[in-house]
Order: sequence, then C-alpha cells, then structure tokens
Amino acid sequence: MALHDSAIIAYGETKIVPVSDRDVWALGADILEQLLGRSGFEKGEIDGLILSASMTGASNPFWSQTTADYLGLELDFCQTVDIGGSSPLGAVARAAAAIDAGLASTILCLYADTAVAETNARGRAYNQEWTAPIGYIGPPAAFGLLARYYEAHYGLDYRALAKLAVTQRAHALLNDLACEKLRKPMTVDDYLQSRMINDPIRLLDSVMPCDGASGLLVTSRKNAEKRGLTKCVVPIGYGERTNLGASESVADPTVTGHGAAGEKCFAQAGLKPADIAAFHPYDDFIIAIMMQLEMLGFCAHGQGSAFIRETGFGFDEDLPLNTGGGQISAGQAGLAGGGTNLIEAVRQLFGEAGARQVKNRDNALVTGIGGIPYGRNWSTSTAMILTLNA
Amino acid sequence: MSQLNDLIDVERPLPVERSFSKPFWNATREKRLLLQYDRVAGAYQFYPRPTSIHTGKASNLEWREVSGRGTIFSYTIARRARPPFREHEPFWLALVTLEEGVNIMANVVGCTEEQMVIGLPVRPHWAPLSDGRHLLLFEPVA
Repeated sequence: MALHDSAIIAYGETKIVPVSDRDVWALGADILEQLLGRSGFEKGEIDGLILSASMTGASNPFWSQTTADYLGLELDFCQTVDIGGSSPLGAVARAAAAIDAGLASTILCLYADTAVAETNARGRAYNQEWTAPIGYIGPPAAFGLLARYYEAHYGLDYRALAKLAVTQRAHALLNDLACEKLRKPMTVDDYLQSRMINDPIRLLDSVMPCDGASGLLVTSRKNAEKRGLTKCVVPIGYGERTNLGASESVADPTVTGHGAAGEKCFAQAGLKPADIAAFHPYDDFIIAIMMQLEMLGFCAHGQGSAFIRETGFGFDEDLPLNTGGGQISAGQAGLAGGGTNLIEAVRQLFGEAGARQVKNRDNALVTGIGGIPYGRNWSTSTAMILTLNA
Repeated sequence: MSQLNDLIDVERPLPVERSFSKPFWNATREKRLLLQYDRVAGAYQFYPRPTSIHTGKASNLEWREVSGRGTIFSYTIARRARPPFREHEPFWLALVTLEEGVNIMANVVGCTEEQMVIGLPVRPHWAPLSDGRHLLLFEPVA
C-alpha cells in the first residue's frame, strides 16, 4: 500500500460538549460543510465515506449507508470502522488503501458520536457473562488493574503522571473547541488529590464522556496537486495491531500492541522516535500516554516515569504532547474521540494552531487505542506518522 | 483493619451463557471449576471460547476440573459502581492467576487492605446466584 500517495486536504471539528443538543447527523453535516469550505471541493466529488464507530449509531447495522443518505452522498465506497477509539486513525489508513486500490478517489472520513445524549450500544461481548456479575465498570477498572500491576513491577511516579495531566490541561486552555467544563487550570496537587475511582486510577487520570464530531477529507496526492492544494498532510507510516498475545492466557498488561504497530509505522516512514516533532497519542487514561512512550520506543519499557520527568511536553518544548488538550482535557467525544488528537495533529501541520502552534512542523506521530478486552490492556493499538507535503 | 465490602447482599446480574460455555456454568452448580484444555498445545484457557486460542481447533479442546488455587496477579478497589453494586463500594476487583496458568477476573472476599498484595495466595469462594449456579470469587488462603 502506497500510504504516502494519499493526502489529507482538509480537517473539520466541532466544539466538544458535555451533552449535544444537536443530532449526530447534524454534527456530521457541520463537518461536511467545514471540509467542503476548506478544500474547495464540491459535495459530488466525494465518492467514498468511512465512518468511525459511534455509540449513537451502534444499533443500526446499516450505519454508513444511512449516514450517507442523510448527508446526500452518492458513493463508490462506504464503510464503518469498528475498532473502537482506534477507528478514526484506522479510517485514514483505510481511506489511503481504498484510494490506492482505485475503490474511490476522494473520501470523507467522518467521526461523529453523541454517546452522552443518545447511546444505543448494547455490546454483545464477554461483559454480560464474565464482568457484569462482579461489578466491573469497564475502562476505569481495567486501568486500575493495569496501573497497579505496572506500579508493582516497575514503580510508578504519580508526579510524573501529574505532569502529563497538567501539560494537557494547559493546552486545553488554549483550545476554544475543548469542552468548557474542562478549561480550568490544573496543578500537580489537583491531580494528586483528585479522588480515587479504581485505585490507583484517579478522577483526573480519566476522560470525561462528551459529544462531538470531527473529520478529514482524503484524496490522492496527485489529485490534491492537480487542484492546487499544495498545503496538505501526507501519512507516511502506519501500523495497527489487534489482540496482542491473543493465544496467551496470562498477558502482561504493560506490554501493548503499540510495540508492533510502532515498529511498522516507523519503518515505513523511515524515521525513529528521536525524529518525532510532536506526539498526539490517544489518551483515555494518563498512564496510557506513558505506556505508549515506552512501547513506541521513546524510552525503555518500565522507564516511562523517568522519561517524563526529563522531557518537556508543552507545545513550545521538547516533545509537544496533545497540544489541543488531549481527550482527557478536551473531552472524549464518544467513539469519535480518536479524531480529536488526530485533527489537532493535522491542524498543527497546517500551521493553523494559533496560540499553541508548535515550531517544528516536520512531522507528527498520532496513535489510537480501541476496545477493552478481558483482563488485558486494550484491543487495538494504532500509530501513524503524518508530514506536511513539501 | 480496613475491610472492604464482600457484596453478600447484592443481587448479582445473572451471567449469560453461550452454547460453548454451558459446561462451565453447569459445573458451578456443584461448586466445581472446569477449564478448557487444549490437549495438543498442552495449555489451558480462560474465559471459555468457541475454539482453542492456542491452535484454532475446537476439536482439540476438553474440559478439565481444576482446584482454583492461585495468586493475585493485580487488584484494584472499585470505589464507583453501577447498580446493583452502587452503594456497596468499596469492593475488590482482582485478576487471579490459577496454578494452571490462566488469569480470572473476580471479586476477592474476606480480605483487608493490609492483607492485599500481588502474589497473595487465594482459593475459590463460590457465591450463590439466584438460579442455582455459583459465581467464582476468591478468598485469601490463610
């Protein structure tokens, strides 16, 4: 797959809100209009649609067709990606593959979810059999088990984790689209003193469920150039791993699929972690950021706390981290939330991030995390490196 | 000594059964623990699957009764829960590694905060469900 033959020509994003008074399809329409406006493309030029999974749409097995109809799109290629929070990044890789295979030429990647206002998910999974009877509430409990294991085997510096939380919060203060409720300054002590939910996971380790939408318009690089869209973002490396260690009955939860996904992504891009100009990792819990730094090779396994202490993560520092606030400080737009950090990376590469603009626009590393399996860390790990088309 | 809630008064949701997990649940009526075993790979698995996670062949699987003895792999204190567990926090959630090399997620009962540690030896504690089946929980051995 010639990933780098495709180009992201426009991005769109709504305000993230605690509960949306606009329908999920109205949010989708908002993104469509933003993308048409920014790219100069006509609606009729869009011949592909890739949706991320949506809690609101979860009861409709015809979700991509129905959504396409509501938006008035006539298409040659239409699908929903269902790898949880990894779906938005996975959608870009699938768009590039579809364009490369000639299935479509211009694809709308649309990430919209109003999970708080209207959730229709009734998961047929292990939960009803193995975890509902023991009062397991899902992600916070899974991360409690994971963080305790990490702490016992490698040690965990909660002040280092606090540094990540505080940095992201400072970024959210500069992001007008972040959820207003979260745009309040935070200190290390605020983090350390926030109440425990699933020891040692605190409230301020966790994302706040919100509603919102984002999206990208992807076409071939050739097409972008033909249209004079010289400013576009090109994916140059991608890796994805689902169910790491699927045949193991005892899995080390501190080892994640980002090892394999990252290796593939960096090899494809011809880059190494030290070359990365900005890092936009999927953040459902703060410790996941640290684990990704380890698995992607920024530091050794188990050395995350030390690496965090030694590294500046502000937008104007060593390794800018989730410069829009991340999901933890901008709000998690349901299963569309994986689009938040991805769109921020694209915005930064376009040089349109305003007061939080990073200096080094050479590239950005974006990741995804999707799904919480039984007694492990997460189901899908993705990593993508983006560059500005030069 | 800080004791957590053992959830004795909670009417637990009944676990759904899959066609391939019925033998597990039937055995819990007699408080017996069955695990799937792949006789070709020579390895156990949990939770019950429709096939072997080792070889991909359901025909390699058989059910074997095991003691349920194990050690704490990791643990967390649930301080927030949904009904019917709400108002019954805090309680233990743990991953237990059985001697047979599988991890099982469960509540731990009769265990103080001071006692809980990774590596703590535990044994099965069967909690009755309203339909005659039992739910596998664990308690400290000592």
